[in-house]
Amino acid sequence: MEPKDTQDHEPPRQQPISIRAVIDVVGALATGSLSGNLYLLDTNRANGSTGIGTESLRTRVRKGDQVLWTALPLECEAFASIEDIVVDKEFCMVESRTYPGTDVSYWIGTVKRDTEIATYYIKFKLGTRMEAMTTASPAFLVGAAT
Amino acid sequence: MTQQLAIIVLIDVAAALKARTLKDNTYLFDNMKLQGSENEGTGDLVTAINGSYWFDGSQAEEQVMNWLPYALGAIPPTVPRSFYSDRTRDSDQEALAALTKIAATPGTNIVAELDRIKQRLGTRASVKSVHRAGHVRPGHKILDLRGEIVPSDSRDDIPELSNAAPVITGITGEAVDKQIIYPAQYGSPDLVTDGWYWSASVDTSRPGIYVYTMEIHLREPVWKHGGWLWEPVRMTFTSKIKVTSLPKRNGFTQADVGLLPLSCPGTP
Repeated sequence: MEPKDTQDHEPPRQQPISIRAVIDVVGALATGSLSGNLYLLDTNRANGSTGIGTESLRTRVRKGDQVLWTALPLECEAFASIEDIVVDKEFCMVESRTYPGTDVSYWIGTVKRDTEIATYYIKFKLGTRMEAMTTASPAFLVGAAT
Repeated sequence: MTQQLAIIVLIDVAAALKARTLKDNTYLFDNMKLQGSENEGTGDLVTAINGSYWFDGSQAEEQVMNWLPYALGAIPPTVPRSFYSDRTRDSDQEALAALTKIAATPGTNIVAELDRIKQRLGTRASVKSVHRAGHVRPGHKILDLRGEIVPSDSRDDIPELSNAAPVITGITGEAVDKQIIYPAQYGSPDLVTDGWYWSASVDTSRPGIYVYTMEIHLREPVWKHGGWLWEPVRMTFTSKIKVTSLPKRNGFTQADVGLLPLSCPGTP
């Protein structure tokens, strides 16, 4: 098999802003809501992100930044994954990928503009629940010019 | 069954290494919010540990705390345990396949092709010590946040990387000195934590707020002796437990001062 040529087509490397969604899966399933059972954190506090550790994370971004979302269940026995990220695609185009050789997914997007605040919602697959659960309140991508 | 309390210690490793402190770069979570834990998702978590008593004051079972240290700005710990070594092996196999192709293709610009293969081989980093460290996978190649191999010719910088998970190397402090908690590192078949984890039994007979300190090693990539090395950087972080004499609550029934809804023989 011909080696997969990923490096030749990748844009110049930059460290994405990493957003981790920590979910109390048992709490969310018990209450039927992510409210009070979700904690969003990012790696951009030094550049102005606020609300770290809350459901209303405000991630400071700039045009061209890559943002990468992953999910982490509070208890390792529980299952959680991101089903969708609902965001204005004119501001940030997102797509789902999986870590090579696994079925563990992550979401990644590139910020297209500097000039506004974009709200977004995250849909999660939790446990064996068939229907995805959506965040009760929005999180934010805050453009550098705002 | 013993009540298992899980405490996630989530650290923004890059920021902590840059600031040389865990303060403002560490976020704690536990699964005891229902029991009264406070400040979830912050560095000021107070873990509630309700006494191991039933409503009538009789002793139930002991409480056990478990600490799970993870890195923010890293591949999530939910990937398979062998992920890093698998990616390293896959990269080596791709290079071997490319070499085979060169050998079978007359007229190939060998120098250019070898250079291209070298660029894709990635950057291997060794580990200074792995003794009972857990979480640290020695000798694998450096991966980025997407799980891809990171090439680097630089001795000064690696352009992008998935940070190594923190390692708890000790738990001390008031709660230990007063024999409220009895921490130790255990081996287990738990694949998420790479087989090692810190755990502690709790003496719930003495209510109060007690402080404990975690000694945590972060791993920083440094260029040494002609290669990249994950060098441990020691830091500490303090948290609290709040032991109360309140009875335990059932997470399903929310019951606290009454009988659990057990069915009796002969009743519907």
